[in-house]
Amino acid sequence: MDSLFAKADAIAPVSKRRKTGKHVQRNKPGPSKQPSAESDKTAHSVAKHTNLPPSLRPTSPTLEGTKKYSHIADKKLRTQLTRQSANTARAKALVKDAELLLTEDAGMVQVEGELEKTWRVSQQEVSQAAGQEAARARQEWRLDGGPYRSRYTRNGRHLAIVGRKGHVATFDWQTGTMHSELQLGETCRDITFLHDHSHYAVAQKKYVFIYDRDGVELHRLKSHIEPTRLEFLPYHWLLASVGNAGYLKYQDTSTGKVIAEHRTKLGGCNTMCQNAHNAVIHLGHQNGVVTLWTPNLPHPAVRLLAHLGPVVGLSVDPSTGGRYMATSGQDGTVKVWDCRNWKGAVRQWATRGGGAELEWSQKGVLAVATGGSVNTYAKPAIQSPFTSSVNPPLYLTHPIPHRPLTSLRFCPFQDILTVGHTAGLSSILVPGAGEPNFDSAEADPFENKQARREREVKGLLDKIQPDMIALDPEFVGSLAPEPKLTTAVDDKTDVPFARLPRLERLRVSGKADETEEGAEDAADQGSDEEATSRLSKAEKEKKKMRGKNKSLKRYLRKQRKNVIDPKAVAVREKLTKQREERKKAIAIARGEVEPRKPSALDRFRRST
Amino acid sequence: MVKISVLQHAPSAHLPTRPGDPTPTQRNLDPLMHPFAKARERTRALNAAKIERIFAKPFVAALEGHMEAVETMSRRPESLTAVASGSWDGGLIVHDIAQRTHLMRVNDAHKGKVSGVCFSDEHRLLSCGVDRNVKLWDTREVDENGAGPSESRTPLSIFPGKSAFNSIDHHRSDPLFATASTVVQVWDETKSAPISNLTFPTSTETISAIKFNLAESSVLASIGSDRTFTLYDIRTGKAERRVVMQMRSNALSWSPTFPTSVLLASEDHNLYTFDVRSLNTPTHIYKGHVAAVTSCDWSPTGLEFVSGGWDRTVRIWKEGVGTQPEVYHTKRMQRVASTLFTADARFVLSGSDDGNLRMWKARASEKLGIIDTRERAAMEYRDSLKERWKFDKAVGKISRTRHIPKPVHKASQTKRTMLEAQRVKEERRRKHTRAGESKPKAERKKVVIAEQT
Repeated sequence: MDSLFAKADAIAPVSKRRKTGKHVQRNKPGPSKQPSAESDKTAHSVAKHTNLPPSLRPTSPTLEGTKKYSHIADKKLRTQLTRQSANTARAKALVKDAELLLTEDAGMVQVEGELEKTWRVSQQEVSQAAGQEAARARQEWRLDGGPYRSRYTRNGRHLAIVGRKGHVATFDWQTGTMHSELQLGETCRDITFLHDHSHYAVAQKKYVFIYDRDGVELHRLKSHIEPTRLEFLPYHWLLASVGNAGYLKYQDTSTGKVIAEHRTKLGGCNTMCQNAHNAVIHLGHQNGVVTLWTPNLPHPAVRLLAHLGPVVGLSVDPSTGGRYMATSGQDGTVKVWDCRNWKGAVRQWATRGGGAELEWSQKGVLAVATGGSVNTYAKPAIQSPFTSSVNPPLYLTHPIPHRPLTSLRFCPFQDILTVGHTAGLSSILVPGAGEPNFDSAEADPFENKQARREREVKGLLDKIQPDMIALDPEFVGSLAPEPKLTTAVDDKTDVPFARLPRLERLRVSGKADETEEGAEDAADQGSDEEATSRLSKAEKEKKKMRGKNKSLKRYLRKQRKNVIDPKAVAVREKLTKQREERKKAIAIARGEVEPRKPSALDRFRRST
Repeated sequence: MVKISVLQHAPSAHLPTRPGDPTPTQRNLDPLMHPFAKARERTRALNAAKIERIFAKPFVAALEGHMEAVETMSRRPESLTAVASGSWDGGLIVHDIAQRTHLMRVNDAHKGKVSGVCFSDEHRLLSCGVDRNVKLWDTREVDENGAGPSESRTPLSIFPGKSAFNSIDHHRSDPLFATASTVVQVWDETKSAPISNLTFPTSTETISAIKFNLAESSVLASIGSDRTFTLYDIRTGKAERRVVMQMRSNALSWSPTFPTSVLLASEDHNLYTFDVRSLNTPTHIYKGHVAAVTSCDWSPTGLEFVSGGWDRTVRIWKEGVGTQPEVYHTKRMQRVASTLFTADARFVLSGSDDGNLRMWKARASEKLGIIDTRERAAMEYRDSLKERWKFDKAVGKISRTRHIPKPVHKASQTKRTMLEAQRVKEERRRKHTRAGESKPKAERKKVVIAEQT
């Protein structure tokens, strides 16, 4: 038996005392001491030729940023948390190393000295300076059929265009392969690709239609009536549309169900954009209001009076994680707002030529199309607070003679801005607009057919439910806020709610009737206190029940169930008021108080 | 001079160099490039939890052959497949669980039930029965006398006893075995009479099960009908210590990895692990069964164990986690009389009153068969997702919820109500006695009544 115990003691002694940081471990010199890593010759000789899996790699010395959870009593939990934070710190360090993988450099325009200005650089100079391949992107498409709008896929490879008169085309702009070209013969107001270039939706005269890559009509979405603008939320697989009737509708393109219909109550809407980082839809309205919508809220999450007059352009900055929003109004101003703090615009300036189209690029270049020209502004200037309404320094500008300019789209992962106007479309080069390094797991301009299919399936599996859209996308997986309801009675230990007595339960949930039973009577009699004190004991006894049987008081007495009841509260208030009036009348009768004289202003007094 | 550079992706860097090559991929770990990373990961975790429940089909096979309840099971040392089982009809079968065939079958090994089986070495099997005999069998396909699997076999030797035997266990290295009846007897395989009788001085009990310790092979533990758990040393021939518990135990099993840890399956619906160095409290209580636990067995890894109960369920517990075990049941499985982990810790065997031996996967959603590296990586990723998101309401609920038969569910509800009522009553009683007079007693302290040496 002793040998058995000795064997067990060698593995784990029976003592149960917890060792925390307070008890310093005594290092006993002796043969049982662990040999240090340096002196371990075997490990040293093997180390060169072996590779430990990450889970077994030594964690000492602990990386900086590793938290110590010495306050946690549970040993197992403490170890787990410490290991977790060490892993997090290591992962952070590894992410820093991963910056080596970012091989490509962003484009730029650099000037020497004060006298040179970037906005003096013309498109001709840019395309001369750019390589042959990049210069091909500078294009003019002369098309009939009214002002054009365009949309790129998420990987920037494919472009869809739609003319007001019903000319729709989708194509791979790099290779010049046309996927489909349709003459729909009716008013078309907007176009958007769905999850990739294999499907696209067109906002036509009456309904939204979905076409496949080859231009075959797949669906007519009858619930979207007279749509004006479309947006597709790729991670939620939602097609959002807003129309002349002022309804914002969300349709799930994977199941086909309309999941939300919001009545904006602000009339027809012509301006819409999405925040790519929290999937909130921004709408700009005719009365100058900008509203932010999520599918699970029946009212706007944010409502903001942005302009005096209709809102014309809206865009959210993707380079800062959706922190800044730019709006432009018919009143000729452009405003940049901080989405975390809506108190006033960060910066605002006036433009020539009225309502401006806006678009923010991946790297944070803001393009503003007003009048006959497209102006672009670079990042730090437009987002730093500036009180006076002075134009920020211009980055590049490009005149386009075909007014009005109706749409602006930056091509993802390219330095290209596509401008839609009456005579077709023109693509201009804006160096520094596009993100140079794409992630193949998210959007890959060079993906093949197989990768596209795989991404489609993966995307469907990872589809986020629409009710998880919120202003703060980080709420998923964070700790729930602590409930305000506490069940501690008199600051003593927390007893579970179900085990409290009834009155305590009512008190905790704020429904207990805390008034004393005799309180009203006592207060009532208080006024006649001196009168009663004069009475003899016998007379007091005789008048004991006086006033008890008044109907209101009887009602209150019968009503008492320890629960606050609005009716009982009203009765009680009425009684107090009556008591006050009676007191006042007595005081006036005694001559202690002057009665209030009637005045001419009495007609404006609130009747009580 | 104005310096201008325009971004352009060289197709040569992003397209496969030769047809058939994989397309090169590029990574950018900037969080802005991965919107909704957390929400998408949660969706993946939710799917992983659902996938796990969809593929949770633990039942593998039913091994037939016995006419009546399977009372006892034992696995052959150093074999993954051979398992011996004894039944109430007196039959004895050695199963090959991989082939689902019988390696040996004796229909009338004993008169009345076979109460214990154990392997003495590679080829010899000991069985004891209520007919007061211990028999030694040769399990080879054709034994020394030339009797094959279909012919009737005769035992190699018979050890007659004085009273009905309840359990048998073989010494790890020596040719010794111990039997349990009214006393614990130690036998030599070569001698027909017991070489020693072990008993606690004051005991008048019937011993229901015995097991040799796995690390210190001379230490023997037994449980008895008078609610005791006793430790013996066969070298001294004495009972070392004994504890009397609140309720009797039905089965015991020594931990294969921790030498002093022993698991008891108790009549009071719970399982207890004891550290025999301090027997006054159990180290853990495992609550889940809704009727008496009739059998238990440790996994060879020592990280989990299986238990079978009178409530017709088999449960698999993690060591140190006292609640929410994995529950296995079928419509036709009756009261579980014996359970066993296989030697590779991947399967669980249960023998029940309906005469079947059932084989279950130890991890319900495990895929049997070849798993390639990518599939393995995906499974590991799903597992870590589930672990990471288990505190999420939806994910946790899916991975926690188990469908259990209605009677078991009702019984657990009733049990919960009763225990709650008891607790409330106790609390009220305490509230109305003088302060400090009756203190609440920890559940662990209630188990052991007396410790004797």
